[in-house]
Amino acid sequence: MTMNEEIMNSEKPVAENEQDIPDELDLKARKYLRGSGANLETLRDKKLKGQLALREKLHGQSAKAAAKAEKWLMPSEEGYLEPEGLEKTWMIKQESILHEVDIISSRKAFDMILPDLGPYNMEYTSSGRYMLVGGRKGHLAMIDMLSMELIKEFQVRETVRDVVFLQNEQFFAAAQKKYPYIYNRHGTEIHCLKEHGAALKLQFLDKHFLLVSVNKFAQLHYQDVSTGVMVANYRTGLGRTDVMRVNPHNAVIGLGHSGGKVTMWKPTSVKPLVTMLCHHGPVTAIAFHRGGQLMATAGMDRKIKLWDLRKFGVLHTYHGHARTLDFSQKGLLAIGNGSQIQVWKDSGNQEYESYMTHAMVKGYQIGKLSFRPYEDVLGIGHSMGISSILIPGSGEPNFDTFVANPYETTKQRREKEVHALLDKLQPETIMLEPSRIGTVRPPRKKEKPTKKEMEEEMEAAVEAAKSISFKKKTKGRNKPSKRTKKKEEEVFKAKRPFLEQQTEEKPYKKQRTAEEVELPKALQRFSRKKAS
Amino acid sequence: MARKTITTTKADKKKQRNSALSKTLNAKISKNMSKKKNLKSKNKGEREERRRRTGPRLPSAMRKELEHLNRGDSDSESEEFRKDDVYEYEEDAPEEESRKNRRYDSVENYEYELPEEFEDEDVPSDEGEDDGIRSDGSDDGQEGDRHTRMLEGITGLPGEAFEGKERKKFVASDFQGESSDGRISIHDLLDPLHGKPGYSSLRKRLTQLEKKPMTVQAPLPKVEREKLERKVAYEHSKKDMTQWEPLVKRNREAPTLYFGEDVNLGYSTVGAIAAEFEPRTEFEKKMALLVRDPEVVEAHKKDGARLLELNKISIEDQKDRQNQLAKMRSLLFRHEMKAKHIKKIKSKTYHRILKRERLKAPSAEVEMDLEAAKEIAMKQEFKRAEERMTLKHKNRSKWAKRILKRGLTVQDEGTRAAIAEQLNQHALLTRKMNSIKDTSSSDESSDDDDSADDELSPGMKKERALKLINKAKENTLKALEDGDELPKSGVFALPFMERGLKKRQVAIEEEARLALQEYDASLGQLETGDDVESPKSVKVSGRKVFGPPKDKPQQSSKRMESYNVGRSSDSEDDFVSSDHADDGQEVNNHSQELHLGAAFHDDSENAHQSLFNSFDDIVKEPGPKTTYEVAIFASDSWKKMKDENVVDDGNMKVVAVQNVEKLGQGGKSEEVDQDSGDDSEEKMVDGFLSSSSKHDNELLSQADLLHSAFAGDDVEAEFEKDKMEILDEENPEPEKPVLIPGWGQWTHIQQKKGLPSWMLKEHENAKRKRDEALQKRKDANLKHLIISEKIDKKAEKLLVKSLPFPYTSKEVYEQSIRMPIGPEYNPAITAGALTRPMIVKKAGVIIKPIQYEEVDAHEKPDQPKHIVHKSNTKPKAKKAKTGGGKHVKKAPVMRSS
Repeated sequence: MTMNEEIMNSEKPVAENEQDIPDELDLKARKYLRGSGANLETLRDKKLKGQLALREKLHGQSAKAAAKAEKWLMPSEEGYLEPEGLEKTWMIKQESILHEVDIISSRKAFDMILPDLGPYNMEYTSSGRYMLVGGRKGHLAMIDMLSMELIKEFQVRETVRDVVFLQNEQFFAAAQKKYPYIYNRHGTEIHCLKEHGAALKLQFLDKHFLLVSVNKFAQLHYQDVSTGVMVANYRTGLGRTDVMRVNPHNAVIGLGHSGGKVTMWKPTSVKPLVTMLCHHGPVTAIAFHRGGQLMATAGMDRKIKLWDLRKFGVLHTYHGHARTLDFSQKGLLAIGNGSQIQVWKDSGNQEYESYMTHAMVKGYQIGKLSFRPYEDVLGIGHSMGISSILIPGSGEPNFDTFVANPYETTKQRREKEVHALLDKLQPETIMLEPSRIGTVRPPRKKEKPTKKEMEEEMEAAVEAAKSISFKKKTKGRNKPSKRTKKKEEEVFKAKRPFLEQQTEEKPYKKQRTAEEVELPKALQRFSRKKAS
Repeated sequence: MARKTITTTKADKKKQRNSALSKTLNAKISKNMSKKKNLKSKNKGEREERRRRTGPRLPSAMRKELEHLNRGDSDSESEEFRKDDVYEYEEDAPEEESRKNRRYDSVENYEYELPEEFEDEDVPSDEGEDDGIRSDGSDDGQEGDRHTRMLEGITGLPGEAFEGKERKKFVASDFQGESSDGRISIHDLLDPLHGKPGYSSLRKRLTQLEKKPMTVQAPLPKVEREKLERKVAYEHSKKDMTQWEPLVKRNREAPTLYFGEDVNLGYSTVGAIAAEFEPRTEFEKKMALLVRDPEVVEAHKKDGARLLELNKISIEDQKDRQNQLAKMRSLLFRHEMKAKHIKKIKSKTYHRILKRERLKAPSAEVEMDLEAAKEIAMKQEFKRAEERMTLKHKNRSKWAKRILKRGLTVQDEGTRAAIAEQLNQHALLTRKMNSIKDTSSSDESSDDDDSADDELSPGMKKERALKLINKAKENTLKALEDGDELPKSGVFALPFMERGLKKRQVAIEEEARLALQEYDASLGQLETGDDVESPKSVKVSGRKVFGPPKDKPQQSSKRMESYNVGRSSDSEDDFVSSDHADDGQEVNNHSQELHLGAAFHDDSENAHQSLFNSFDDIVKEPGPKTTYEVAIFASDSWKKMKDENVVDDGNMKVVAVQNVEKLGQGGKSEEVDQDSGDDSEEKMVDGFLSSSSKHDNELLSQADLLHSAFAGDDVEAEFEKDKMEILDEENPEPEKPVLIPGWGQWTHIQQKKGLPSWMLKEHENAKRKRDEALQKRKDANLKHLIISEKIDKKAEKLLVKSLPFPYTSKEVYEQSIRMPIGPEYNPAITAGALTRPMIVKKAGVIIKPIQYEEVDAHEKPDQPKHIVHKSNTKPKAKKAKTGGGKHVKKAPVMRSS
């Protein structure tokens, strides 16, 4: 984004001397090293030591290369509003920003008044190019935000509760009155997902190709959209809710409930991974930071809380209502309440303070706030249509075409789709700490020995019992028959505990009654005896 | 050394020698002897010896004697031939003996040739290596040494024991022929010097010497000697080995080894290998001769047509074939002609008969076997699908359209029948099979039916209606007759139940009679030509219909249900402008309907579904028209039953379901409750517009409202309770120790004592265990948090069970996998290096043994190493081949260990 320099310091301070560059590179390289290597001095295995040292060296090289690439290929940095003197950033109005920015950027802020078809929901693709608009009364539309063209607009003549893009702009899902439906970009209905029931909220996990919905009966459904398999279907058992968000870091689903609880779910566990008591009233909104460590929740108890998800503790508590929350790519937090919008910014130490405010026309109720990826734009879905405003510094200024490309061509899109399908992650890879994949499994508390192990153990015990040599007894007791008997007894004694264990394990089989009794017990005596 | 003192006579010597040798190694000696003898002479003695070896063995005493006798002969005899004789080896040593003595290097012995001037006189002299009188070279000395070693080995005595004997032997042989008398001592030698100056001193010294012999250091014991030897050898080989060290170290440390990159592997394709093939066996040669026949090759090269010429076919065969073909052709032709002829026949009756036959044939077949039935079912299914796809019989043809345009009433009877037939056909074809699962797509087909029905002519309708009612009447009568049957088992078999049933039946009969009357009435109505009624009844509702026509009856029924609610429940109705309750007549209808419906579901309760069955049959039979007729009888009682596409799946279930539906209107009301949420949402939308500051856009139900109103009250306590529940689930709280009632309460003392101590202890232990387990949880100190401790079995497979081999610490392992190694995350240089295998080798390259080369010990280890096989060392390679697999294996061992 190129914005006016008076407002933003999009220019990075130029490195003054040559020495600064390597320092900077080192700093950046450290980020790409993902933590430090192990201390090899403690290793006793020389060969391993050598191998690891070599590996570390290679890692260092690639980190450096990545740092260099970042330095030279991603020159633009996000710029924030900078106040002069007594000025405060939150005092700056949209009009003044629009006045200052270039024409293209100024076009990105707009108001679309659509009073007829109800409060509007909206959603951007991951590249930020397309916007999906869903009116409560059945209005669905897709807009290309680059050219501001309407791609498709149609009416479903049903309540539309939520809309969500699937893997790309080719498909989207809409939660309608009875079921969620999947449409393609031409508005053709592709699927009706009856198993989901009357979904209230939809989310899509793009790495896993899972469409997640929570319905009226607070059931959470995970459906694989590539194979069509219903991966999971869980009862939350915590009451109807339409507060659902996916944690972009680990694809764990966060649900906010009326009891003030926030639960986190994955498709392979029936019970929530984490249940947090976040508020004293119903939870109204959740948002996850892109890093996955920060969560914002808002409740009816007039509180907005920021949580550290590493230790599940509150970082900060602020007062205020919020109907909707959203984190931008760069970590700005947008809060919508009534017709007011606040944008908070991290002022270091994860302490958020007001950065910008915006007031809609009085009476417009904000239903959904969503930052547009790779742009400094905040999209607003409200009761009278959709709007968007400029929030400098909200979007990631450099896009990686391997991740998301706003200027994608058809071929690129196809290529990417194939790649995405090949790289599709299985649902079980969703876990609270995805970095744990590949590490050593923690020892189980009480692991039952397998059948084979048991058998081996028993055999060993029997062998040991057999090899026991007996004392030579007095004349009468040393008969061979007695000795063999003793030996047999010993073997049996060794076997017994194992056999007992086996019998314990066997589940008690319910015996079926041979004949189904047709009559209730009390009435049986009245029944006529069959004449044989 | 001590030999000088020993003097023996020849006889003595001979005797000794014979005895010693024959005692210890009779066979060996003979071998030795024979070796040294001229074997070309083939003397008698030797032959004898040989014979003896092969034959049965004599007792040792006899043998000794014999040998003793022979010795003299052979010796004297052999002496004659010894001169100018070349020693040649002929294999005559018994194998078993040569095998016994492994110390013998048999190969060398075979090759050994004695010099020409060798004399038999010297035979024993080879033992005398100590004093340098040896006449021949070191070979003899070696042999002697070996000989002693052999003796040692056999007897187990130290070598010295034999040395003495040998010496003696030597001495004897030395003087053989020269002196035959007495023994010679040093004194004898000194005697001639007697009287010479210095003799006395010499003699003195001699005596001195004799008295106190000079000691020569005894040789070290064998063990010690060998140890020393080994030590030296070790030092030597160590030095040899150390020079390899840097090379091996380099190979070990190199991240990647490339083996033989530049080796030309020769053929890589099967074709190339096949080209090399040379015929060897007879068969192969024959084959090759045929294959490489120039004629064949040429034919192949051209077009292969000539190959046919090379084939030899008998004329008879060809003729037979032609005949057969001709026959087949003629048969085919006839069949074709027949088919054409049949096709040309214009008689409709003929065709009809033909068709009927065709249809009948499979039906007969169906009865015969299952397979055919299945096939037919499949066929029907296919037809149905085709019909559903093409809609061929749905009045879409030009002809049908034209007729419909002109109006059915104008048409003559035949045309109408044809149209009806066609529709019937369509219905038949599109009718759902019982086997097909009830899918969600059912409503679509019903749609089609309905729309088809709309196009029916009213005249037809009337006819059908008449028929229908007649049939219904019949069925009702039948049902009345049949109804008397009573169930003979189950609850209904009980006497009082029976009584109740009878009562019911009476009531039902009455009702049925009423129904019959009604039928009659309606029949009369129809017959009076109340044609106007039918369209009227369709239009009677007089409201706009947006949805598909099938909704209509449904909605009317629904409306009836929702009268009390007063507002349409379905949000679809938002689009359907509902101006109901204006038509009094309709309301009347509805009330009637309600009444009769109730009557009917009473019936259904009584398991008197035979009646319904019959109705169902009716509904099924006339095909698509029935639903329409439903619309005709606005006042009819069984409208409801039919209105939901009973035609499609005319089985009992539907009826039952509908009955349930009727009964379970409570469920409907529930739905209304559900849907009220939506309505409220819409209200809320209005609320937004009027800028009321509400946050939740969903109106909650009463309970929810209450809950949310008092939500903040006790949330924490509730949460704590939940948490405790979950904790208890995972670690159940130990039960309080209780005695079985009556147990241990016999006396006051027992009661006073209370519970036994072991019980208390157990309880305490369990409690402590639980506390510990709870303390271990991640959420132990966080009140607001429950972290599930359940192990996800599916995710377990993504973790490693135990540390992979070279790692010994978990931290190191986990640190080592923290970085991705794929090409997406690494630049090309490192991505390749990170994923390269340890050994890069082309398939087929033989890894040759490691070759020595100078290596700089301080070289950086992290460069991949190219190991080049020198291809010029052909003889070496050959050697390696002869050496067997040992060498080949060595190279990888060197590296990987």
